[in-house]
Amino acid sequence: MTGAVAGLVAPAAAPRSRENLLRRIVRHRADYLYVAPALGVMALVIGYPIYYTIHLSFFRTPPNLALDEKIFAGLENYQRILEADTFQEATWNTFVWTIYSTFFSFVLGFGAALALNRAFHGRGLLRGVLLVPYVISAVAASYVWRWLYHSDVGVIGAFATALGLSDGPINFLDNRQWVMASLIVVNVWKEFPFAMIMLMAGLQTVPEQLLSAARVDGAGPWSRFRHVTVPHLKSVILVTVLLLLVTNLNSFTIPYIMTGGGPAGASEIWITHIYQIAFGRIRFGLASAYSVILFVVMMALGYFYVRALTASEEKAAA
Amino acid sequence: MRARKANPWSIGGWAFLALLTLFSLMPMAWMFITSLKTQFAAAQYPPDWWPRNPTLEEYRELLSPSSAMGQDFLRYMANSVWVSVTTTILGVVVAVPAAYAFSRFRFPGRNLLFYAVLLRNMFPAVVFLMPLFIMMRWLGLVNNHGSLILTYLTFGLPLSIWLLKGFFDNIPPQLEQAARIDGATRFQAFLYVVMPLSSPGIIATAIYSFIVAWNEYVYALTFMNDKTKLTLPVGLQRFFAEHTTNWPGLMAASFIMSVPVVVLFLFLQRHFVKALTEGAVKH
Repeated sequence: MTGAVAGLVAPAAAPRSRENLLRRIVRHRADYLYVAPALGVMALVIGYPIYYTIHLSFFRTPPNLALDEKIFAGLENYQRILEADTFQEATWNTFVWTIYSTFFSFVLGFGAALALNRAFHGRGLLRGVLLVPYVISAVAASYVWRWLYHSDVGVIGAFATALGLSDGPINFLDNRQWVMASLIVVNVWKEFPFAMIMLMAGLQTVPEQLLSAARVDGAGPWSRFRHVTVPHLKSVILVTVLLLLVTNLNSFTIPYIMTGGGPAGASEIWITHIYQIAFGRIRFGLASAYSVILFVVMMALGYFYVRALTASEEKAAA
Repeated sequence: MRARKANPWSIGGWAFLALLTLFSLMPMAWMFITSLKTQFAAAQYPPDWWPRNPTLEEYRELLSPSSAMGQDFLRYMANSVWVSVTTTILGVVVAVPAAYAFSRFRFPGRNLLFYAVLLRNMFPAVVFLMPLFIMMRWLGLVNNHGSLILTYLTFGLPLSIWLLKGFFDNIPPQLEQAARIDGATRFQAFLYVVMPLSSPGIIATAIYSFIVAWNEYVYALTFMNDKTKLTLPVGLQRFFAEHTTNWPGLMAASFIMSVPVVVLFLFLQRHFVKALTEGAVKH
């Protein structure tokens, strides 16, 4: 649940003041006391690590973590990562994992939001039930799914056999062909509720008059959905998709606990690979360079994210 | 009146919801069913849909302070409670004034700082692990729950600040002004007027912080090496890796770990969803 929701709400533009900046800062000095603890914690736990990761990425670090002995290595770490065979496979896996997870979480979440966007008895309870996978720990979820996928006594394999879909136990997690799809199912299970709440929130803002006007004009459900609901939700959809992309690009627990990147790297994604290089092989310099590459991708997504936020702010102001 | 045609969208909608509910709950149900089996019964193929001789043996052992398994498990649980509750309390204490300032005050750099806080969500936990591990080692906080509390604080803050700001924005400043005319200080006006009105938001952010801290895995895995310091998510793994995997035991432990968050969440989800809904999309 680390990939939290973030706002569509944007602060209203402050009135432009002719007063000089320094004076304004001094005049408002008491205000900063309110935000200081939050910003202090964030700077310590986020600001410093960003700086240090970039710094370390230019050094060869000894595997015993005696960081005083690190040696400046320029771009060597970057070069080594980009040239490694494992990088290509991990990149492809990351791409598959991120795109499919996002797509299916979004589609299921949107479907659930639409289905729940009607008044019926027990709606609140059903919404709560559908949110359960989202709140339980990824660790517990990973273990139960490992058990469901178990190659000898797994209930999914047993079910498939009973339906005649398979001759016997299926090796979901130990099979290069199946492993990624199996992991994506778990991830979608865990994540579609997030898309569901975001989109439910969005759906509540679609004005009823617009929908009924479209109905009067003879628009069917599909056409109302396409021409009224979707355009109205554009910014919510954008933010939801971006946050899903970011969360998936960053997900660690499910792949790490379920397969640890196996079999033979078939489910290794960037994040698990970085962890393995850092804490398995104790190559902090190398892992830092890898992280910086990931940062660059994240920042590109972040740019679109802030743009989406700003767009919704302008729309709100209009 | 014309007879109403059956609406295919609504039939499809119900079928979809039914399947989705099954998909969502099936793993939890199987977790619980397995936890009631003996190890022998769990190894049967094809699996029994319901245990023939359901037993609470695994739960009894996990929760009894006299068994070796129970001793470890209860310690991990106590660690998790301590870390999560502390994170939650500190989170509220830090987030409330920040959100209030972002809502009420017009200080320079306000927008920039607000977006900077939100951008926290863009960064992968694993990437911060190395520098933070080095920093915690330097601060002497490895194997100290302080390192986890400090880190978990930043997970909850962006959402908390954003949600609470939404709540504070909706409370007319005139209410505070009225209280101040009646002689309350700024802080009293905040405490007795603004806080009660925004309590759904505060409750929602508290639940969120608690759940995040309770479930967190990778920082706990890296910062805590001492066996007595582990939190539940990491404890679970170590504990079942040492022996051959006892699936009913593992499922029972996972179930116990899931119960507090699910119960807390189901009770308070109305607040949670309300806060998200009000904070997420305002026009």
